[in-house]
Amino acid sequence: MSAAIIAEGVGKNYRTIAALKTVSFSVEAGQVLAIIGPNGAGKTTLFKVLTGEVLPSHGTVRFGDVDVSRMPAHARAARGFGRTFQVARVFQNSTALDNVVVAIEARQRTAGNSPARWYQFRASQSVIAEADQALAAIGLADKRDVEARFLSHGDKKRLEMALTLALRPGVLMLDEPTAGMSPTDRNQTVELLTRIRKETGATMLLTEHDMDVVFGLADRVMVLNYGELVAIGTPAEIRANKAVRELYLGEEVDHA
Amino acid sequence: MFFAILNGLSVGAAVFLVAAGLTFVFGILRVMNFAHGHFFMIGAYIAFSIIGQQSDSLTTYLLASLVAGVVVAILGVITDFTVLRRLRHVDHAYVMIATFALLMVASGVSKLIWGQNSYSISPPTGFGEGFAMGDVFVSSFSAFVFVAGVLIFLLLDLGIHRSWFGKVLQGVASDSWMAGQLGINVPLLYTGAVVLAFFLAGFAGGILLPNQGLSPGLALSYLLHAFVAVIIGGLGNIRGAFFASLLMGVVESVSLVVLPNFPGLSIYVVMVAFLLWRPQGLFGQEGHA
Amino acid sequence: MNAVSGTRTALAIAAGALLLATLPAWTTPAIVFLVGLVLIDSIFALSWNLLFGFTGLTTFGHAAFFAFGSYATGVALKMQAPIHFLLLLVVVALLGALFSALVGAVVLRRTAGIALAILTMALGEILHIIIGYSNVLGREDGISGIPRPVIDLLVAKVDLQAGNSYYWFLCLVCSLVAGALCWLTFGRFGRVLRSIQQDAERTAFLGMNVARYRLASFTIAGGVAALAGALYAPWVQTITPELSDTFRSAQPMLNALLGGAQSFWGPVVGTAVFAVVNFSMRTLPGLAELVVGVILLIIILVAPTGLMGLLGKLAWRMPGKLSPRRALGKLPRCRKKAIP
Repeated sequence: MSAAIIAEGVGKNYRTIAALKTVSFSVEAGQVLAIIGPNGAGKTTLFKVLTGEVLPSHGTVRFGDVDVSRMPAHARAARGFGRTFQVARVFQNSTALDNVVVAIEARQRTAGNSPARWYQFRASQSVIAEADQALAAIGLADKRDVEARFLSHGDKKRLEMALTLALRPGVLMLDEPTAGMSPTDRNQTVELLTRIRKETGATMLLTEHDMDVVFGLADRVMVLNYGELVAIGTPAEIRANKAVRELYLGEEVDHA
Repeated sequence: MFFAILNGLSVGAAVFLVAAGLTFVFGILRVMNFAHGHFFMIGAYIAFSIIGQQSDSLTTYLLASLVAGVVVAILGVITDFTVLRRLRHVDHAYVMIATFALLMVASGVSKLIWGQNSYSISPPTGFGEGFAMGDVFVSSFSAFVFVAGVLIFLLLDLGIHRSWFGKVLQGVASDSWMAGQLGINVPLLYTGAVVLAFFLAGFAGGILLPNQGLSPGLALSYLLHAFVAVIIGGLGNIRGAFFASLLMGVVESVSLVVLPNFPGLSIYVVMVAFLLWRPQGLFGQEGHA
Repeated sequence: MNAVSGTRTALAIAAGALLLATLPAWTTPAIVFLVGLVLIDSIFALSWNLLFGFTGLTTFGHAAFFAFGSYATGVALKMQAPIHFLLLLVVVALLGALFSALVGAVVLRRTAGIALAILTMALGEILHIIIGYSNVLGREDGISGIPRPVIDLLVAKVDLQAGNSYYWFLCLVCSLVAGALCWLTFGRFGRVLRSIQQDAERTAFLGMNVARYRLASFTIAGGVAALAGALYAPWVQTITPELSDTFRSAQPMLNALLGGAQSFWGPVVGTAVFAVVNFSMRTLPGLAELVVGVILLIIILVAPTGLMGLLGKLAWRMPGKLSPRRALGKLPRCRKKAIP
């Protein structure tokens, strides 16, 4: 299988500060890579460079065979990746249903195959049906007509996941998907992600602080510190890695 | 040409007198007060009510300007309490529109009180005619305007960068919440800043009365010029506003000589070009505005 | 709930249409003239609000496009250009859209927020100055004596100079334009715009090219404003450079906010209310400005959703539901939920 994401020598400088030095790694299609490291290690910067929120100062990023290093975020998203944010970004003033409808229509527009006729201004029935299905799949069917700003934090994250999945992405980039969640929500999220992985075979890249989540989901784990790659390998390898233990794992207090 | 430059410096200084208050309010309160030009104009009208079309003594003229400044400062405090304060947490688009609404209120009030006529006002006789500089004749009044502008700039600059009060203001401007945590009476400081900025506007109105007289379009004309200066100089930056005002005054004056068919066009073109090239201004910071 | 508010809207629209159509029968020519102005200004305000309320862009120079449309049409009509009036309107609107696209391509890329507002204000004033100093365009006096055209419809000739013909023409055209904007705003395009307004980054990460949508919105708004200006010239028959100044640019803003910027019909309501205020206080110069200014301040500080927002307790919802009603020939029901 060809690699879904390849980063070569990627670096990002903010004026005089090198947030990312030179990071190279690849993720195979269908795999899950978790990025961990202390705060300030450059995880978010790496994320931004991969998703196109920020352009790298040097190095290349490839999705499959395509060099996307200089591509803006929306173009990369149109190529089939979804991105979730640490603090869920959804359309606050729209209902949960409308949120998903917009995402579905976006996918259709990108693919160029909208089922609705040009003069229709309401969302077509098939789109709404799909949106309803999507909401039911993540357990938000009863919140269908609630405006997103009234949803709880956990619900917003689930809604964001529904939006992202509506794009039918080949690659999912999740920025701290369980940040700020209660243990129950956290478990549900892990279950959800496992299910998505099984059902869609999507490649996943996530940053996380919760080690249980990381070791439960990831095929491989990458450790960053001071903008550099410290170690990359299977969870077992990382757990056994002395440098990583000293740097990060050893200092962690068990999450409740 | 030399005359154009000198004239431009005077025009620029006049604009600075208005731009200073505008950029100051933005720096501290983060509000771009579209009504600033009208407060300036109200100051002018107040001074006019005292002086009439020709003032005999220098002292009356200066005193009238001071009175205008004080009255406008009071108006400013009222405005701050009723409107400006409440705009802190409002979306910036609505803030702009709110100050535009203020502009309408100020415009309506001044029309009701003073009518819509235009008046020309002569400089106080105490000034004398003027003097020669090289082979160019400079009117004393123009020179006075320039000197006034420079003086006010120096006072403001010194006040902001050297005095304790200024340092506190800078702290409040960059992080008001933190400043409050440090025990600084932030609301009081805001009021102080408002008083200063509006006093300046009113005072400028009085001082500049003989410069261009009174007309309904006065407020907007000065406002737009002040905008150019503030944008080019960087929002919230007094030094920037000063240099940009002078630069702009000179550009406008010179372009009158070079391009006489479209007066007033050049500065807008300059501003547009500037905003496109460097939206944060000459001295502004990245990511501002 | 939907059925009730749907019928309510349909009734309101029908009543409004009836009122407008029969206006000349029961009011004075002066009122008819003012209502015509309200129709034109409503379209102008709707076009501005497409940018502000639905795309999140604040411009203070919109009058430039209006002035462009007015002068282009005024000159063409005055010079008796041999072009069919309807075609002239289309051409002017398209040119206005082109002009708007060019401006937008440069301006939107580089500025946002306050800088955009001031930049557009400057552009409006630049056009104001250019028009004001052009001999061809009549300098400060502008163009006067613009004739109302005769429309040749092959089957019949419609003389817009006769009686109230132009008024009914305005009713028809403005309704069509409003309907088109309504369709646009509530369709897929409008949904994307509103997504951009709420969270531009999120929209980008859904694969949408945000910059292109903003430019499209700007272009359409400019084109519609130009069309409004084009309709304006034969109606008032005298146009001056002030059409491009900052006060004219602020007019749609005031109208939209007064009526409610988050509601589609808000700008129309606001225009009507504003016109009433202006008219009733026209004897005391400055009073109308004062009153409107105060009303606006109250709205922004207390009720940012404007009059429509206050009326919004009727729970008008955004369309997108599984409703099979879409009879051709009927105006689409444009309900929009008010956003506090």
